[in-house]
Amino acid sequence: MRVLRFLLRRLLQLLPVLLGVVVLTFLLVRVLPGDPIRTILGPNATAEDAAAARARYGLDQPVWRQFLDYLGGLVTGDLGTSIQSGAPVAGELAVRIGPTLELVVIALALALVVATALGIWSARRAGRFGDHTVRIAALVGNSLPEFWLGLVLVLLGYSVLGWAPAPSGRVDPDTDLSLLTGADLLDAALTGNGPAFVSALHHLMLPVLTLAIVIVAPLLRSVRASALEVLASEAYAAAEAHGLRGRLLLRGYLLRATLVRLPALAALVFGFAIGSTVLIEYVFSWQGFGQWALRGLLYRDYPVVQASVLLIALFYVVVFLIADVVHAALDPRVRIS
Amino acid sequence: MTKDLRFASSLIVTGSVILAVVVLAALLAPLLTGWGPEEIDPAAPLAAPGGAHLLGTDLNGMDVWSRVLYAARLDLGVAVVAVALAVVAGSLLGLVAGYWGGWADDVLMRVVDVFQAFPTFILALAVAALFGGGTLNLVAVIALVNAPAYARLVRAEVRSIRELPYIEAARTSGAPPWGILWRHVLPNSLTPVRVIAPLNCGWAMLTLAGLSFLGLGVPVPGAEWGAMISLGTADVVAGRWWTSVPPGLFLLVCVLGFSLLGEGLQERADAVRR
Amino acid sequence: MTLLSVEDLSVLIRRPGHEVAALSGVHLHVEAGEVVGLVGESGGGKSMVARSVVGLLPAGARATGRVLFDGADVLTMDPAALQAHRGRGAALCFQNPRGALSPTRTVGAQLTDRLRTHRGMDRDRAREVAAELFESVGIRSPRRRLDAYPHELSGGMAQRVMISLATGCAPGLLIADEPTTGLDVTLTGEILNRFRAAANTEGRGVLLISHDLASIAQVCDRVVVLYAGTVVESGPAAQVLGEPAHPYTRALLRSVPDLGGRPVTATPGAMPLLREPPAACPFAPRCAHATGECAAGRPEPAALAADWTAACFHPQTAPLAGTGTRIAERRERASGGGAEPQVVARVRDAHVVYRGRFGGAGHHALRGVSLSVAAGEAVGVVGESGCGKSTLARLMLGLVAPASGGVELAGRPLAEVRGRELRRLRTRAQLVFQDPIGSLSPRRTVADAIAEPLRAAGVGPAERAERVAKALDRMELDRSMLTRRPHELSGGQAQRVGIARALVGEPDLIVFDEPTSALDVTVQAQILEVIAGVARDSARGSVFISHDLATVRGFCDRVVVLYLGRIVEEGPVEQVFGDPRHPYTRALLSGAPSLGDGFAGPRVELTRDLEEAEAGGGCPLAPRCPFATPECREGEPELLAYGGMPGRVACRRVDEIPALLERL
Repeated sequence: MRVLRFLLRRLLQLLPVLLGVVVLTFLLVRVLPGDPIRTILGPNATAEDAAAARARYGLDQPVWRQFLDYLGGLVTGDLGTSIQSGAPVAGELAVRIGPTLELVVIALALALVVATALGIWSARRAGRFGDHTVRIAALVGNSLPEFWLGLVLVLLGYSVLGWAPAPSGRVDPDTDLSLLTGADLLDAALTGNGPAFVSALHHLMLPVLTLAIVIVAPLLRSVRASALEVLASEAYAAAEAHGLRGRLLLRGYLLRATLVRLPALAALVFGFAIGSTVLIEYVFSWQGFGQWALRGLLYRDYPVVQASVLLIALFYVVVFLIADVVHAALDPRVRIS
Repeated sequence: MTKDLRFASSLIVTGSVILAVVVLAALLAPLLTGWGPEEIDPAAPLAAPGGAHLLGTDLNGMDVWSRVLYAARLDLGVAVVAVALAVVAGSLLGLVAGYWGGWADDVLMRVVDVFQAFPTFILALAVAALFGGGTLNLVAVIALVNAPAYARLVRAEVRSIRELPYIEAARTSGAPPWGILWRHVLPNSLTPVRVIAPLNCGWAMLTLAGLSFLGLGVPVPGAEWGAMISLGTADVVAGRWWTSVPPGLFLLVCVLGFSLLGEGLQERADAVRR
Repeated sequence: MTLLSVEDLSVLIRRPGHEVAALSGVHLHVEAGEVVGLVGESGGGKSMVARSVVGLLPAGARATGRVLFDGADVLTMDPAALQAHRGRGAALCFQNPRGALSPTRTVGAQLTDRLRTHRGMDRDRAREVAAELFESVGIRSPRRRLDAYPHELSGGMAQRVMISLATGCAPGLLIADEPTTGLDVTLTGEILNRFRAAANTEGRGVLLISHDLASIAQVCDRVVVLYAGTVVESGPAAQVLGEPAHPYTRALLRSVPDLGGRPVTATPGAMPLLREPPAACPFAPRCAHATGECAAGRPEPAALAADWTAACFHPQTAPLAGTGTRIAERRERASGGGAEPQVVARVRDAHVVYRGRFGGAGHHALRGVSLSVAAGEAVGVVGESGCGKSTLARLMLGLVAPASGGVELAGRPLAEVRGRELRRLRTRAQLVFQDPIGSLSPRRTVADAIAEPLRAAGVGPAERAERVAKALDRMELDRSMLTRRPHELSGGQAQRVGIARALVGEPDLIVFDEPTSALDVTVQAQILEVIAGVARDSARGSVFISHDLATVRGFCDRVVVLYLGRIVEEGPVEQVFGDPRHPYTRALLSGAPSLGDGFAGPRVELTRDLEEAEAGGGCPLAPRCPFATPECREGEPELLAYGGMPGRVACRRVDEIPALLERL
């Protein structure tokens, strides 16, 4: 109950921030140079054609009018119509989110597990060879350009070794996967489509690996640093000095105290991963949200840009909210009321 | 503890050596290659490494080795200048907001909040797409998206320093507010910035290359690592490694240099604090 | 068999670029049923002994010698035996209980973890025993407390939990590392008695580590004195603390201010950080009795009497009378001046409220305090932590503004001036801080720090340098200090720099805010001597703030006792310390551990800890006061003169107190 009330209050606090984001993107997109109508009509269109197109998308209205229309649409769940494709933005968006979330969530989960295990392992060997190796590896991971790493993995996995699929598409079309959520792995599992599941997994392998490698580094560094702090703490020394040992020491006195600060960083890394997926989707021709938003941005497709910016902001704040709740659950010192 | 310090020093030295080598290679590029960065060898598009072209040529018949070397000038230059701008602007804002508080602080922090409601790369992407590419624009974009983090960092530092006994001591000594800010708060509040800035240079290079990779950065014939990698995307699927692996490797090594330097500084600061 | 026998224990620790000889040839033993005190200043190796006994040496440490526990050597135990020894054989009670409790685990779980590990209990049985243990250390509603997290406990409660963790597995030996640091006077007594009881009734051996000699004197059978990692003296508490033979023990004892006003004698120098086991007597450079022999070889511990040894070529036998100048002398001079001395600072009925975070209720730190300080006068302000003494200091310096009431410096109200003029006026009062190193800007040199008030006052560089050098000389600091930065200074040096900075502008008032509480005992005495010299100046007033009553007694003319933001008693030192009329003052004096006879006269004990006393209306002490009547809870008593005495007391029953005390 307390958690629910806390969530509700935080969500209400978020409204002004989101409204700010809405206003800002709406204005920014219109103030800056570039014209979506020109880009769809091409250079040969006449002034009349342009005016007609403008009227079709409501761009002939005064800006405040456009804004009110947009806001009204938002409230009813209508995100407008894409200028490029002419399809409703909400519909396009729905198909695009699944594949991206699938990628990010799997990679982040993988990275969190690896970071926790390796970070604690490394901290317990602080200053020794194993620890130094892990730290250097994390630094390299931190320095890798994800788009290049993706290409190198394609080069090795597909071009040289040949056991990864070509970097195009997310599932073998022959498997007849029916679309539910857009996340192919989930859809295959839900429909009990075995071959599609295997195929989706196969296609996910390299992009997930790419993303996981670049996001594991900051998580690993953070886990190692907090584990070191806990190991050096008087509380841990006291547990050791009183003869506690083995799993009890690890689980009761090291693990939870170490993970306390991870949620906030994981939320930041989630944002970083969203940024990285734009590049990774490009490399693997992954028809996800990143690709869609990027195209919208390049063509000045106002409704698409506005919808994607709003969605990212919304995602980001919700993820931070979740992080706060997890933090409160892990750390008894944090009060959520 | 000895070990920590020794490891920290070796990180700093390795990082600095890497960066020095890259800078030297960029400066001495004309001596290290016979080809110009935008010079086309019409006889040999996509030539394999060896022979006249040390690392082969790309789709346009330009020498990969030469382009990789010249690109270092641009990538390093943009990243360092952009981060320097971000540090100066962000720190000044953070300093003033943190020390005086009040409405200036509120306004600044709300602006920073909006900026930080987006992942940095997404923000850079959006701003670059809207303002257009070009070297100067890229410097501005990267400085702009990084400055808020410095403002927040320095502000937090200033706010905690403001409560420390030595600031109270300066006040009882009758030092004027500006004097306290300049002589006591500023030098001590920049400690974390010193560690973050090198790391940030690395991220800035990755951002720049990422933007160029998507076609939003340096215009086409310009030698830039991200753009080169982008051009080689199709080659990779065909098994031609030399067009995109070398620029990526250079980028990786260069960013790693900054990372090592930053990590070493951090480690040393921690070891000294203990 | 001897319970614990440490034989020729040496510990070397690797540090960047050098080694530190933390312990060099330490011998000591603890029998069952006995409390042994381990004393000495920080860096002397006390904690290293404790850690060696549980086999928990820091990384990079090498230990030689033997640590025999029930005949088995802890240093050579295999991991399994060591884990069984820790907690079950010897259990360590940590210095900072809040820090030593894992923040993310309930205290009940932390206790049952230990019970299940060492006593093989199942979950339910362990929980039951845990509740009993909590009750036995004085935790109320123990079952509910089992599910509390450490941050939900008060400092005293956390210390009780820590003791239950250490005693829970019935160890043969209990090691307590500074168990009473940061606790109030009343709690300190209770905790010490628990350790005494552990030895008396449960037959455990107790090794009590403390820098507080008075606490040690109260409960220990035997005392071991460490200096620079060596045992310099050991023997029965009465001998070692009453008629010490080793010059260091004597120096240590003479450095402690006493409630009875016995003068403090400072010993020059500081404890060395040894890089290798000493070849000579480590105390020789600071010792008044040292001869060539002392610098040539290291004295072995020699028996003076049964079970009493001192490692010294020239053991002393003279009684430990003070030879230092009695600081109280100046009092006659100051008051014999004839004309009424000028008032340098005045606080009138001041209230200070700290704004709460996030719009919450504020903290009312001072509630109607009036105080004036005259030139040539030294006023002591005492009280427990949280009583508002530091707020009073900051108020007098204009660092916090009163919510109502006013502050005057040099005859001018602070509220009437602004900007540059306010800054000028504020510099008439200077503050010496509790944290000497923290009060110096980390990136500025000593010269810069001392010159700061002069620079602010617009003094030119040449004159500045001259006056800085003079201030440095007065503090007996070497000129080479000028270019050093704070982290290169010792605590004592930094505090001298802090005092030099306060003095350099020749202010009317200097406020010392717990200036010695962060320093070691012998350094404390040195700084107290410096401060006494400053306070002797007849042109200046000084205020000395401390939680330690004995320190104030040494050189103040007047004392003000604060309790929860109010003055409860004030008056001349002799009056307040000799015949305190407020029950709170008397309780403070009764509870303060003392090396000498302690507080003479009828003692008063408060009925509850400050943390547990619920706030009510009326007299703030009423919930804890043994003499409180229903009327006391109705209105706040005023601070009034009583029975023709020079002091004032805020107690409704002040006239009845002597009679009430008789009846106790």
